[in-house]
Amino acid sequence: MKIDLTIQPRFRFHLSPLVWVLLALMGIAFVVAMVRFISGIGAISDLSNAYPWGFWVSFDLFTGIAISSGAFIIAALVYIFEWEQFRPLLRPTLLTGLLGYIMEVIALLVDLGRPERIWHYFVYQNFNSWLLAIGLYVMIYAAVMMIEFAPAVFERLGWHRPVAWIRRVMKPLVIFGAVISTLHQSSLGALLLIQPAKLHPLWWTPMLPVLFFVSVLAIGLAMTIFESTLSSRYFKRGLETHLLEKLALAIPFILATYLALKFGELAFAGELRYLFASGWLSALFWIEILIGSVLPLVWFAFKRVRQSPNALFTGAMAVLLGMILNRFNVSWFGVQHADPMTYLPAFMANVRYVPTLPEVAVSFGIFAGGILAFGLAAKYLPVFEPEHAHGAGS
Amino acid sequence: MNDIKHHAFLFDAVRCIDCRACMVACSVENNIDMDKTRIWVSGIGVKGRFPNLQRGTLVYHCMHCEHPDCMSACPVGAYSKAEDGPVSYDPDKCIGCRYCMNACPFGVPHFDYDKGLFEGALIDKCTFCPQRIYEGQEPACVQTCPTDALEYGERDELIAKAHARIAEHPDRYIDHVYGEFENGGTSYLILSHIPFAELGLPALPETPINRVSESAVGLTIPVALGWTAVLSGVAAGVHLYNKKMEERAAAEKEAEEAK
Repeated sequence: MKIDLTIQPRFRFHLSPLVWVLLALMGIAFVVAMVRFISGIGAISDLSNAYPWGFWVSFDLFTGIAISSGAFIIAALVYIFEWEQFRPLLRPTLLTGLLGYIMEVIALLVDLGRPERIWHYFVYQNFNSWLLAIGLYVMIYAAVMMIEFAPAVFERLGWHRPVAWIRRVMKPLVIFGAVISTLHQSSLGALLLIQPAKLHPLWWTPMLPVLFFVSVLAIGLAMTIFESTLSSRYFKRGLETHLLEKLALAIPFILATYLALKFGELAFAGELRYLFASGWLSALFWIEILIGSVLPLVWFAFKRVRQSPNALFTGAMAVLLGMILNRFNVSWFGVQHADPMTYLPAFMANVRYVPTLPEVAVSFGIFAGGILAFGLAAKYLPVFEPEHAHGAGS
Repeated sequence: MNDIKHHAFLFDAVRCIDCRACMVACSVENNIDMDKTRIWVSGIGVKGRFPNLQRGTLVYHCMHCEHPDCMSACPVGAYSKAEDGPVSYDPDKCIGCRYCMNACPFGVPHFDYDKGLFEGALIDKCTFCPQRIYEGQEPACVQTCPTDALEYGERDELIAKAHARIAEHPDRYIDHVYGEFENGGTSYLILSHIPFAELGLPALPETPINRVSESAVGLTIPVALGWTAVLSGVAAGVHLYNKKMEERAAAEKEAEEAK
């Protein structure tokens, strides 16, 4: 049984001030990227031999991939658990995920020293490397999401047969996509396993892949709530509060598991003493835990919160902010040490890394492109519509 | 030619006078830009007040680890470890991701941040002078060292030599050869009279630090297969259950209608 609760979006995509701002950000990013391709990474960024990875990796890779995780979660709810009621959320989250992955690939081309050699990923492969795994997962899962989202394009074009073909393979495809996603999200945590000498013990643990996977479930659900709320406001359409309420109900359980794993691991490794002894790194850890896990755990436990659109949005924001801080801590802030001399070679002492404006502009420009693409897709493709009655059904 | 089975360096901080001739020799031998280097000097410099002065200098380049983390990390396999010691880097494979720089606990690989697409940015690091050692010569840095602070030879022999030197002057040296076991062993061995941490060297476990990362890679296939089985099982179970419930509802409806 399908109930059409969505309101047909009737917005016009005129050149509003927001669109101008997005276009300007994209233009700036393009110019900065050209400077980088001609004069080198050092010309626009503060990356150095002491800090080879910085804002780009934390924002584009770690944050971008994490907030794309709604796609596999909602797809699993609809196709594996057959909870048809969540179908209205499927295409918007799929679109968010697909665009997130495409943005990541574009950002990677700026961050890579030799982007013209990206094909080496298929020719020279070191299967001990987590970065190889991550690159392959990005490409495979982006392809999976393209197929999963393709019916929206084909419906618009009136190609009914390919839609029927895809419907037939949708269930195995979603299972495959969920497996690849699981591996991909946890592999981002595994990427840091090789840095026990550099990443602060508050974050470095052999459990990093598991922690990444558990936390990304909360991030994906929060992102779905966040994106649905913003879409409903911007496109002036109905909000599926009754669906978001159910998603929000799962978040406290996920966060409780996450907290138990995180503190259990710290206790097991005998690293609880770092909780208060590591200065500003301890502070960052607590901000991340309190805002991203403890606060939403309590917040979403209240039924009245889960039934209020504004409170849902606030809670989702908390999860996202806290968990994004976690990704930044793991991949950037925690990699610094209070006294580099005792850990790092002397040439790294007194070297600081502060991202430059052009560096941030590249990421923001790509992000602006993603928002614009979402808007265009929402206007021209049946993203928010319920699926049409024709086709084989599922 | 020589018959060294495992090439290695031995550096003695007591003997180093911080003249930096090795840096010059390396740059000349390998044609390195003036503003770049493959050798670094770290440590405490000269400390104290005359006449009680203390010097602590570490000269180092790539440690040529026995289990290189750069090699473990590199997605395109640009690094290789020769059986006879040297860790080498293939500039033709490198994609410039800089993961090796993150992985290396010594911060050895350096990147051309000043080169764009046309000049082709690459990683730069010590090569162990293969063009010299396989011709029976010492690496450039070793050959030029005026105080024999840098020595070159068979790894086992250098380790024995280092321990003999410690035994001879136990008052002068810390009783430890850095690199004998650190990170699973390195081919750059270090003797010192001041704590190794003050020289700027990280405290590393004897198990190679890429062990955790590499054993996690081994879990990929089991996790993928197991997770596929679980999700397929759930999907099939849910589908069958839903079908059964539908059938039951239909049957009940039929029965009701028949009444």
